[in-house]
Amino acid sequence: MEAAPILSLQDVHKRFGQLEVLRGIDLEVARGEVVCVIGPSGSGKSTLLRCINLLEPPEAGRIYLEGQEITGQAAAEGVDFVRRRVGMVFQQFNLFPHKCALDNVCIAQEKVLGRDREEAEAKGRALLERVGLADKVGEYPDRLSGGQQQRVAIARALAMDPHVMLFDEVTSALDPELIKEVLDVLRELAAEGMTMIVVTHEMGFAEEVASKVMFMDGGVIIEDGTPGEVLGNPKQERTKQFLGLVLEH
Amino acid sequence: MSQFFSQYFDFNFISHHFSQVLDGFSTTLQLWAVSGVLALAWGLMLAVLRQTPGRLGLIVRLPAIAYIDAFRGIPLLMVLVLIYGGFGALSSGNATPGPIPEAIAVPTWFGKPSAFWYGTMALVITYGAYMAEVYRAGIEAVPRGQTEAARSLGMSHGQAMRNIIVPQAIRKVIPPLLNDLIALMKDTSLVSFISLSEVLLVGFDLQAKTFNSSAVTLGAIMFLVVTLPMARVVDWLIARDQRKMLRGASTDDPGGPPVTATATALS
Repeated sequence: MEAAPILSLQDVHKRFGQLEVLRGIDLEVARGEVVCVIGPSGSGKSTLLRCINLLEPPEAGRIYLEGQEITGQAAAEGVDFVRRRVGMVFQQFNLFPHKCALDNVCIAQEKVLGRDREEAEAKGRALLERVGLADKVGEYPDRLSGGQQQRVAIARALAMDPHVMLFDEVTSALDPELIKEVLDVLRELAAEGMTMIVVTHEMGFAEEVASKVMFMDGGVIIEDGTPGEVLGNPKQERTKQFLGLVLEH
Repeated sequence: MSQFFSQYFDFNFISHHFSQVLDGFSTTLQLWAVSGVLALAWGLMLAVLRQTPGRLGLIVRLPAIAYIDAFRGIPLLMVLVLIYGGFGALSSGNATPGPIPEAIAVPTWFGKPSAFWYGTMALVITYGAYMAEVYRAGIEAVPRGQTEAARSLGMSHGQAMRNIIVPQAIRKVIPPLLNDLIALMKDTSLVSFISLSEVLLVGFDLQAKTFNSSAVTLGAIMFLVVTLPMARVVDWLIARDQRKMLRGASTDDPGGPPVTATATALS
C-alpha cells in the first residue's frame, strides 16, 4: 500500500528577476524517505529547499505538506505551519554567535514552542549529547570547529521536533577531516526514520543513505531514481557528464 | 599675553565662581543623562519600526522613515525653539485652552524647570533620529543567514528581531552610539538658548556681567573631563573590534564585520 506523501511539490517555479531558477519541479517524498539532491552549482538545488520551507516562496506551483497546501492563498498561514514541521540546516551553520551552544538549541524551543527553560534545557542537553557535543554545551560558536558548529545547528533544528529535515550542503563549508562527523549524524538520523531532503556533493553518502537520488540541472529534475539507478547507471547524458566530472578527481 | 590669560584663565575668578559653574554643569549632566537614555531607547524603537517587513509594514515603515529623514535634516536649535515657543501657547491651562494638556505643555516633572524638559524633548526627538540610523547600520550588518536561521526555527519577524538580530546589532554599534552620546552631551549647551541654567548659560551670564570669560573656559574644561575619556573608550573599542575582525578574517565567523565609526565626535 502506498501511504500519502508527507511532502509533495507540483510544478514549482521560482525566479529571481530575469533568472528562472526553478522551472517546474515535481516531487513526492514519503514519510521516512531520504532524498538526496545532486547537481552542479546554480542548478537550483538550494532554492528548491528554500522554497519548501517558504524562505523563498515560489511564484507558481503548489506545495503540500502533510496533505495541507502551503502555497498560494494558504501561504500566509502556511509559513507557521511549515516552519513548525520542517527543520533546516544551512551550509554556513548560521549559529547565533551571541549564544552558547545550549542556548542556540534552547531559544526557539522557549520562544516558539513555549517550553519552559527546564524542559528546553533537558532536551537541548540530550540532543547535544546525541550529536557528540555533551562537553561543549557552554561553548560559544566562535570556540567551536566548523564540524562542531554544524552539529549544534542540527541539534538546534531537531529540538523543534521537525517532521521533515532539509540539509543544504551542510558539509560544503567544512574541512575534509570534519565532514565525516557531520555525515555520521545524518546517517543516524536516516536510520531512525527521519524524513530528509539532503542537497549534497557527497556521492558516497548519497549512494549509501539515499532512498532516492535526484539529479537537477538548469532548474529542472533531469533524472531521479534509486541510488543504483541514478548514480550507478544513469540514463541521461547530462547526468553521466556530471557524475564523470565529480568522480574524476 | 597676561591679558589673554586673565581673560580666559583667571584663577581667582575661577575659584570664586567654581561652585556656581559646577552647579550648571550638574544640570548639563542631568540633561545629558535623561535625554541620552531616552534617545537610545527611542532611536532603537524607530530603527526597529523602520525594518517592519511586508506591504502592511509600510504603514509603520513610511512614517518612521519620514520622521528620521526630517529630524536628521532640521537644526536641533530650531526644534528646541519650536517646542519652547509653541507648547506653552498650546497649553490647555491658557485663557483660551489649547490642545496640549498643561502637564505636558508646561512640564515641571521631578522639580525640573520646563526648559529642562523642552530641552530633553528636542534632544530626544533629534538624537533619536540620529541613533535610529546608527542602529539601522547595525541591524543591516547582521548577516542574512541569522534571520533565515531564526525564521526557519519558526520565530516570527518580531521574535527574530528581539532575540537574534537586535542583540547582535547593538553589540556592533556600541562605538558609534557612544560617539552620538558625546555629541549629544555637547549639544545640551544649546538648551541655554531657552534659559536653562546649564553650564554654558552660567558662564555666559558671568561673562556678560564681568567681561571675563574664565567661567566659560572652566565649563569647557568640565566638558573635556567627561568627553575625552569617553572618546578614548570609543577608540579602544574600535581598535579591539578591528583586531578581532582581522584575527577572525580566516575563520568562518558568521558574525560579520563590526560597524565602526572612523571619525569621533571630538574631531
